[in-house]
Amino acid sequence: MSLRQIRRKIRAWGRRQLYSFFSSLGTLLSHRLGTLMTILVLGIAMVLPLGLYVSVKNLRAIDLEREEWGTITVFLQLGAGEEKVKTFAGRIGQERNADVVTVSPEQGMEEFSAVSGFGQAIDMFEENPLPWVLQVTPRQVENEKFEETVADLGAWLEGQDGVDLVQVDYKWLKRLAGLLELGDAFVTVLTVMFSLAVVVVIANTIRLDVASRSDEISVLNMVGAGNSFIRQPFLYSGFWYGLLGAFLALLLLNLSMFYLQRPLTQLLDAYGNTFEVMGLGGRGSLLVLLAGGVLGFLGAWLSVRRYLRQFRLEDPPRRS
Amino acid sequence: MVTFEHVSKRYSGNVNALQDVSFHLDPGEMVFLTGHSGAGKSTLLRLILMLERATRGQIVVDKRNLGKTPSRLAPRIRQRIGMIFQDHKLLSDKTVFDNVSLPLMIAGMRYPDIRKRVRAALDKVGLLSKEKSWPLMLSGGEQQRVGVARAIVGMPPLLLADEPTGNLDPELSEDLFVLFRQLNAQGVTVLVASHDLALIRAMGQRVLVLSHGRLVDDIPACDVGRLRP
Repeated sequence: MSLRQIRRKIRAWGRRQLYSFFSSLGTLLSHRLGTLMTILVLGIAMVLPLGLYVSVKNLRAIDLEREEWGTITVFLQLGAGEEKVKTFAGRIGQERNADVVTVSPEQGMEEFSAVSGFGQAIDMFEENPLPWVLQVTPRQVENEKFEETVADLGAWLEGQDGVDLVQVDYKWLKRLAGLLELGDAFVTVLTVMFSLAVVVVIANTIRLDVASRSDEISVLNMVGAGNSFIRQPFLYSGFWYGLLGAFLALLLLNLSMFYLQRPLTQLLDAYGNTFEVMGLGGRGSLLVLLAGGVLGFLGAWLSVRRYLRQFRLEDPPRRS
Repeated sequence: MVTFEHVSKRYSGNVNALQDVSFHLDPGEMVFLTGHSGAGKSTLLRLILMLERATRGQIVVDKRNLGKTPSRLAPRIRQRIGMIFQDHKLLSDKTVFDNVSLPLMIAGMRYPDIRKRVRAALDKVGLLSKEKSWPLMLSGGEQQRVGVARAIVGMPPLLLADEPTGNLDPELSEDLFVLFRQLNAQGVTVLVASHDLALIRAMGQRVLVLSHGRLVDDIPACDVGRLRP
């Protein structure tokens, strides 16, 4: 085959693709209601794993730096004198090899009224109700022994004179991290299951589509269309379903995020956190669209491959 | 152009649609195929189109032995044959233009060329003004002519027609046969299956007669007067 012939064949192939592309779009548009309902189902199926993924991603974004995990907050009994506190702090530093930051009741009050928004209410107190607070962080700890060291230090601190309450932050942070792991696993499971659902829904839609157009297929077959020419528009339809479904899912996701943004920000503000809700971002959204298209293509391919076999009218050639 | 050698076709259930049929069509010939319904006319045409395979015997179409042609090449065989059906087989959700252009779309032709060829084909069957109509808006005769336009738009060397006048009144039937003769005069080999004996006799061409799956007569054009109903 000469180069020119090859080139001509490629061009002919391209024109056939173009024809299939537009004819599939035309079919979708001519059945608006059916197409819309299919896309709605697909969009909802896709938005569930996406929503969970975004939630987990946002929770993860809350600062989970390792050093902070180990910090133990020690509340001393009310009325402790500054000198006694400093001595205690020094003793912890030496004996337990830890960094200690002291927070006086005045500092505490300032921070609290600045962050919480309860400034005026706090002014009503005649005396400062806050105790001295020590923030104790163990130094130079190997990773494996980290939990033990922190727990050990916490127990020792609890036993000391003048200590009112010891709060070990790493416990709940660890629980949160565990929950996030679980969330990730859920995202994976949901993604797999709903991807399957998307493939099946599209495969079924295309199956009905093929069945309702069996007359057309037999005509195409008789005027010389090859299998690929017959198959192509259905594959494109599947691609469109998947792509539009993904688009709808993104739309739903962004709408619900927009709806949740304000109450969530208010809530987190009250906890003294400034927090920006993160979406999927440009690349993530693109990936979702692409994945939708690919799943749709796959569903259509599965369905058409199985279904078009019955229109193959002739046997394979006999060996002679 | 078409050669049958001892061709038999048996469907499942021991129905013998064709038995030991042999004939030969030269390029540029125009031949009628007749016989009562169920005589095997449609089966013969379907074998030429490679919609079925012969149970026995050898079929050569356009110098290609169909028995040795793999299924995946069947579309290429069909692209070189124009086929006209009794019930037109037009796609009702496509315009006349789109229906006629199908074979060219399948061939992957450039759109400007497609437009030229489709309009030429529609012009030949006298329907150029209807290119934007929908098939269901047309009369039966017009729909049949759209089918003819679709069959000839790819300029195939062989034209097959299966009872093309089945749903037409006598006048339209004659017009259609005259159109076939014009196409034949331009070099196209034409094979028309029909049971309209009066019309066939009037056309004065070679006639093959099928009966119960056997080829019982092969009447040359000069002797067509002996064709009896």
